[in-house]
Formats: sequence, structure tokens, C-alpha cells
Amino acid sequence: MARVGVFVCFCGANIADYVDVPQVVEEVKRIKEVKFATEYKYMCSDPGQGMIRDAIIQYKLTSIVVAACSPRMHEKTFRKALSDAGMNPYLLEVANIREHSSWVHQKDKKAATNKAMDLCRMAVAKSIANEQLHEISVPVTKRALVIGGGIAGIQAALDIADARIPVVLVEKSPSIGGKMAQLDETFPTLDCAQCILTPKMVDVASHPYIELIPYAEVLELQGFVGNYKVKIKKKASYVNFKTCTGCGACWQKCPVKVPNEYNMGIDKRKAIYTPFPQAVPNKPVIDAENCTMLTKGKCGICKKVCLPGAIDYEMQDEIIEREIGAVVVATGYDMWDPTPYEEYGVGRFKDIITSLEFERMVSANGPTNGVPQRPSDGKVPKNVVFIKCVGSRDEAKGIEYCSKICCMYTTKHTILLHHKVHDSHAYVFYMDIRAAGKGYEEFVKKAQVDTGTTYLRGRVSKIYKKGDKLMVRGEDAQIGQVVEVEADLVVLATAVSAPKDNPELARLLGISYDKYGYLSEAHPKLRPVETAKAGIFLAGCTQAPKDIPETVSQASACAAKVCGLFSGDTMKKDPMVSTINNEYCSGCQNCVKVCPYGAIITDEVPVGHGIKDLRTVAKINEGVCQGCGSCVAICRSMAITLAGFTDPQIINEIVSI
Amino acid sequence: MNYTKQIQDIAAKLFAEGKIDVFVGYRMNGFDENQVPVLITDPQDVSKLVFTDKSVFNLVNYLKTDHTRRKRVGIVVKGCDSRSLNLMLTESQVKRENLYVVGICCEGVVDDAGEKMQNCTDCMVPDAVVSDEMLGTAVSGSGTLTYKKNADIVALAEKPLTERAAYFEEVFENCIRCNACRHSCPLCYCAKCCIDQETATLYNGANTTSAAFHALMTWSLHLAGRCVDCRNCEKACPSHLPLHLLHKQNESVIYENFQEHLAGVIPEDRGAFYKYSLKDPDDFIM
Repeated sequence: MARVGVFVCFCGANIADYVDVPQVVEEVKRIKEVKFATEYKYMCSDPGQGMIRDAIIQYKLTSIVVAACSPRMHEKTFRKALSDAGMNPYLLEVANIREHSSWVHQKDKKAATNKAMDLCRMAVAKSIANEQLHEISVPVTKRALVIGGGIAGIQAALDIADARIPVVLVEKSPSIGGKMAQLDETFPTLDCAQCILTPKMVDVASHPYIELIPYAEVLELQGFVGNYKVKIKKKASYVNFKTCTGCGACWQKCPVKVPNEYNMGIDKRKAIYTPFPQAVPNKPVIDAENCTMLTKGKCGICKKVCLPGAIDYEMQDEIIEREIGAVVVATGYDMWDPTPYEEYGVGRFKDIITSLEFERMVSANGPTNGVPQRPSDGKVPKNVVFIKCVGSRDEAKGIEYCSKICCMYTTKHTILLHHKVHDSHAYVFYMDIRAAGKGYEEFVKKAQVDTGTTYLRGRVSKIYKKGDKLMVRGEDAQIGQVVEVEADLVVLATAVSAPKDNPELARLLGISYDKYGYLSEAHPKLRPVETAKAGIFLAGCTQAPKDIPETVSQASACAAKVCGLFSGDTMKKDPMVSTINNEYCSGCQNCVKVCPYGAIITDEVPVGHGIKDLRTVAKINEGVCQGCGSCVAICRSMAITLAGFTDPQIINEIVSI
Repeated sequence: MNYTKQIQDIAAKLFAEGKIDVFVGYRMNGFDENQVPVLITDPQDVSKLVFTDKSVFNLVNYLKTDHTRRKRVGIVVKGCDSRSLNLMLTESQVKRENLYVVGICCEGVVDDAGEKMQNCTDCMVPDAVVSDEMLGTAVSGSGTLTYKKNADIVALAEKPLTERAAYFEEVFENCIRCNACRHSCPLCYCAKCCIDQETATLYNGANTTSAAFHALMTWSLHLAGRCVDCRNCEKACPSHLPLHLLHKQNESVIYENFQEHLAGVIPEDRGAFYKYSLKDPDDFIM
């Protein structure tokens, strides 16, 4: 007969404030299989685990129920406690009385207590039917995929490759570098972004353990942690990178001009182009949408002038397949489009620009050679108004969250403006100055003193045109008055938003994303770089707005996680996998169709009963099976059993309440 | 509708050419006007074969017996029967290359009293959808006819919940759990039915109303999106339970919610429960 021990946790006040824990303990003691039940403030702590270990030995327990937080949080912790006491770790059952009871029923303590008791009864009933299970070993493919070649992807790829683990780095655009390559100088030390980034870009290209696939997208990811298969679409570049020398004759002669994305459309690039002079790989690609040869079949100049003969108008998209063991997602961010701010005249007044456009203007390799100019008449602006929180912290027109980096980059912009135009004056409309970070507050204070910038606390209500100037009307909340500032140029500190392709990518990878489109981490505090899907990690702004130091830290953290995952030749896997009872299987193959992991194949077995013939049955690859239970639910013959979630266990649970 | 001659000729020809080992058809039952299924293995017996509007049974059910498995079979199918055959093929229960299918453009069959059967008046797919050879002239619009919600479930839905519950309680009480419904259904082919398994405690062996209820509900859910409304089960039921109510209710819910899905009409279509589409409704998820 089963001997169950029940351990109910207070979780500090998290559970105890809303659930009457002693009452729960008294209630479970009434179940006849329960031989021991107790409570403790923090069951996950060492003394708490000690209570479990001691009770297992003292009361000869055959299964354990811990009523505490979500099993996602501490199931592993408690399984280890069981192992330490010499018990099979899978005889543990966790009743989640925190997320499922105390946290969601904070207004009704009695109901929360009753629910906690039900959950405990269910867990006890299930644990009675628990069986000893043993971990499964599966081989690991030691190769990582990094999606996105911005600073996050670059850092992750370099750190992983430095540990001698092969990396496949996939970048959507023709060059790696991402948003950081568009920046001029970086806060709070004003290092030149190019100076600190481009050496890393070169390292990526030359690293023996990194396979760089630029101008490509991930199409499909199949498999499971340690054994993924990825399909990558390498877009046709129409230039053979192997023969191209990067001489530049093609783009110098190309007659087609289109707005230059790298310079935020301030100047023009050609239809065959390298995004910027320091691009890696420094090879041009043809923009198929605008090239007249590819759209209308007329021109062909680049092919004529290309001496190595690298241009190939017939080139097709190529599908590349790689076997990988882990994925780092580093798809970065998009700048938020400020069009909804109609009262600012966005789109109507040429001299209102976004922060990234300003960044390109003051950048040494920018379209105006580092001197800011008014887009309307090309004059150098004297009075520049910076408006912060355009889109951020604005539930009505933009997004609720703080974009985190705008306060700092606007401060940097005032310094850059002061450096480039000595007799200029900057005005900053702000809500708060958020400068939490090493050296950040000092940077802001110093900038305010050095540049003499006028900081006005308040929102701008309207911008209108007066002559060739812009009149910025806003509130100065500190003096409680409406102020008007005459500006030559207005710079909007637009919000950081999630890449618009993120939801699609998340579906493709099988991970979750939040309402803004940012990819979700497994736990906000304790597992900030992992996703809920094992073997997929997040780096940089694809998770939430971040500055460069934080992004780099997270990228390195991802690398550490990947290296940890690849530290052995095999990987241990939970034994919660399905098995098929051949006797009951009728071979309808519905399970094959519903399995999201492709873990079920068909097999031929003898018919038996003296008949010399074979019949088809389903067969499960336990290395691939993730224990989702779809096959169990779909099987009409009830021929499939999921270890740890068998029918007797589930029926026991149902019957117990 | 009388294809007796044609079917006899086809069967004789198939035997003569050595294409089949057994032919599944209908014969007169010998004591009244009604017919019963027959499995012909001797070419001498083909003259026993008949086909009229009294050929009510779904012969596809006989493809799961040991007399037909692993053999080359000739079979006669009406519209509804052919849909169940389609599902048997999709679910890998029979091999198409072992079959010679005589499809009928069905004008509807009649019950004991000579009235056209209810499933035939509601039928959307009278013509066989799987066949090697078709008999009769195609019924116009087969497969594109408008869906008619079953009159019995419409009438039942109008009654208050308590009355409906009382009705079903009374009905299930008459179930003797002989499992004739299961044996007569071509799509109930499991090696061991889940209802009979040792762990299936919900349907415990005792013949109680509750056990019968669970067993019949499970059975109807296993046929949801698969039932082709051939009514073999109802014909087989010795207690005359109105089993079509369960299936037609499922069918109408699935037809209305899952892109007008009808079981077995399209080859390789496993049905609403076994595939996912972005168009699937999700408003019932909390």
C-alpha cells in the first residue's frame, strides 16, 4: 500500500496569506494513504528539503506530494531532494497551490483554502499511482544557430565559437552590424560605435567556428533541444560572393537610385549596393525590387563592368539545412513609427526628424558628413528641440512601457549637437530623466552643465510652422506655464518597438511572445535568457528594450547557457514520454498526424494468431517525444500511455474531488 | 433502383478473371422481402446477389472480418458506404489495391414499412465517392446539396434541458450493452475497444444506466466527424435506441463550426478532430 508524505509550503507570505496552510495539512492527514504531513515556511530551502529527506527515511514513504509553487519553478529542486534520500525522483507530485490558488484567489481566503485542499487531494490521489521512472539519454548536436547579426547576435556567436562550438549566424540584411552600426557615438563614454563594433564584425567573418549566412531567413525549425533541424532561406543576392572582390565598380556605375535604409532615407543608394562601407561581408547585393535588369530586363551595366564576372541575374533563392542543438534569438528591435502624433506635424513638417535620423546626420560616416542639417533647406540648425517619450509611456497613442534608452541617447544627442554646432542651443522636453546605470547619472549631469541644454519638464502639445521655423508649444510643469520654443529642428526620441516579424518567428520556433511582440523569457528573474522551449535562448532587444551593455551581457549569458547545454555528449531527458501498446494499436496513424514533434513513425509487427502477415502499428521515438500528450488524447484505442500521466493517475485525480 | 443483374454480371466477371477472392453483396433473407449481407466465395453463388432499394446495410463493415482481410474483395457501396470506405482507406485499415469497388448512384433505400429512410431524405452525397465502376445515373448535385439539419435533433433541442435529460435517461436505460452498435459500425475497428479495457473503469462491466451512458457517449465522440450516417448501428440495435441522435448532433456541430466538414467525402481527410486549421473556432476556449 502506498505511503504518501505531504509537505505544504507557506512560500513566505505568498501562499500563507491567502491559504490556511495548517488547515490544508489537517485535511490531507485524513486521507488514509497519507502517513506524514507537515508545513514549512520555505519548503524549497535547505531545511525544508531536509524535512522531506528525513521523512522519506523515517516514515518509509513511497511517494511525495509537495504543495507549493508551480512545478515549473521547483519541481527539479524537489526531485533532487527525493534522489538524495535514495528515492526515485519521479515519485514526486507537485500541487501548485500558489499560482493556481493563493495568487488567483486573493480576495477569498476560504475559497482559496478549499481549492488548495482539492489540489492536494488530487496530487495525493495521483501520486498513489505514480511509478518509478528513469531518465533518458539522447545525443546532442553540438552546433548553435544564432538568428540576427546585430551586436547581440555577434557577441553570442563569438562567445560560443570561442568555446570551439560551431555557430551558424543568420542575418536578414546583406551585412551584419544591426542597429549599432548606424550609431555615431555611444553613451555614457562616447566611444565611437563603429570603432568598437567593426572589429567584432570582422572577427565573426574570419572566425573558423562561425558560418555566416547573410541575406537569409529562418524558414522552419523542427526537432527538440539538442537535436533541431533548421531550414534557412538564403535570398538570391545575384552576386557570387566567392568571385566578387568587393571592388565597388558595380555600384558606382549602377544608374538606379533608391532611398538608403542605412542612412534612414536621408540620401540615396544604388540598386546594387553594400549597405555601408564597413559592411561584413563587404560584398554587394542586388535589390531585386528596384533593379531594372531584374524587373524589366533592361540595363545589365553591373554585369558589364564586373571584371571577375560575379554578377548572376539567374541566381535563385537557396534553401540551406543545418542540424543544430540550440538557438539564440537576437532579432533586435524596430524604431517606432511616430505617425500617430499628428499634433506634432509628423509627416507634414520636413524639419521634424526621428532620433535615428539625427544619429545618422551627426555620424562621421553619415549622409551630411557629421554636420546636422535641416532636411527642408539644408541649413545648419541653431535651436534644436528634443522631445522625449514619443510613443513610450503613452497608452493613448503609443505603447505603455518605457523604452529605457531614450533618456540616455537624447542626452548623448545634446552633447553631439554641441560638439558639431558650437553656437547651437538644445531644448529637451521630458517627463522624467531615467538614468539608472553605471556612470549614467554622472553623464547626464555633466552633459547638462557642459552643453547648457535647457530641460523643460512637460509634454509638447503642438508644433506649428512660423516662417521657416517650427514653434514648439508645451508645458513647463515646473513653473506651471505654457511655453513656446522657436526651433530650427525638432528631434523625436521615438520608442523602441518589437520587430514586426517577431510573432511569426515565435510561431515558427514554437516560443511565446507578449502583447507588444517581444519574445517571452521562461522566468523574468531566474531564467531571463531562456525561453519556455528548451534549447532556445534570447539575447538583446528582441526580449525587451535594452542598451548596449545589457545586450552584450545577455548575449554572453546565452553563450554560457549554450556551452552548458553542450558540455556533455549526451543530454539527460525527462522520462515523461509516450509508449504504444502494440496489442491495442489499430494502426490508424492519427497519432502520426497530430504529433507536433514528428516523434511517431509506423512500424510493422506480426499479426500473430498463426497468421503469417504483418500489420502496421505506430512507434514512438522516445528521444524526440516531448510528452505533450496529444497522441494520448487522439488515440481512440487508448493504446498510448504517457509515463507520469497514465490513465490510472488521471482517473485517480478526477475521482478524488 | 434495381441493379441485381449488373452486380451479378460484374461479380461473375471478376471471379472469371480471377481478380477477387470474395464478393461482398446482398441476398434475399429467404423469408420476407428484406435483404441480408452475403459474402460470396464460390462463383456458382453469384446468382444469389441482389440490389434494390431494400439493400440497406453498409457492407464496408464486412471489410474488417477475417473473411475479407488480406484477401482481394469485390464490394458494393452506396454513397454513405463509400464515405466510410474512404475513411477506412485514410485510416490505413484496408488497402485500395485489394478492393474492386462497385459504386452505386443511390436513389435512397427504404425501411421495413417501405418508407424512404430518414438518412436518405437528408443525404448530401448519394453517389459513391470511391469506385472502380459506377452503376446508375449520377444524382444531380451529389456532394453539393444543402445541409439539412436532422429534424429529430431540431425537435429535441427545442425541449427544456430537464426534459431532454429525462428523455436520454429513459433511452439509455434500455441499453443492454450488447455492443451490436459497435460491431455493426464499419469505423469501429479497434483491436480492443477502449470500453473493454481493464483500465477503463468509467465504463465498468456492470450494466448500469451511467455505464451505458459513458460507453455510448465515448463511442459517439470517437465517431464525431467520422460517422457517415449509414445507420447500421440503429438497424443492429435490439433495443431500438435512437442512436442517430448522438451522431447527428455531433455532425451538425462539426458541420457548422469546422468549415462545413462532412466525414469521408474527401480522400485523406481525417476529420475535424484530427487536423488543425487557423479558421477553427476558438470562442469556446475560456
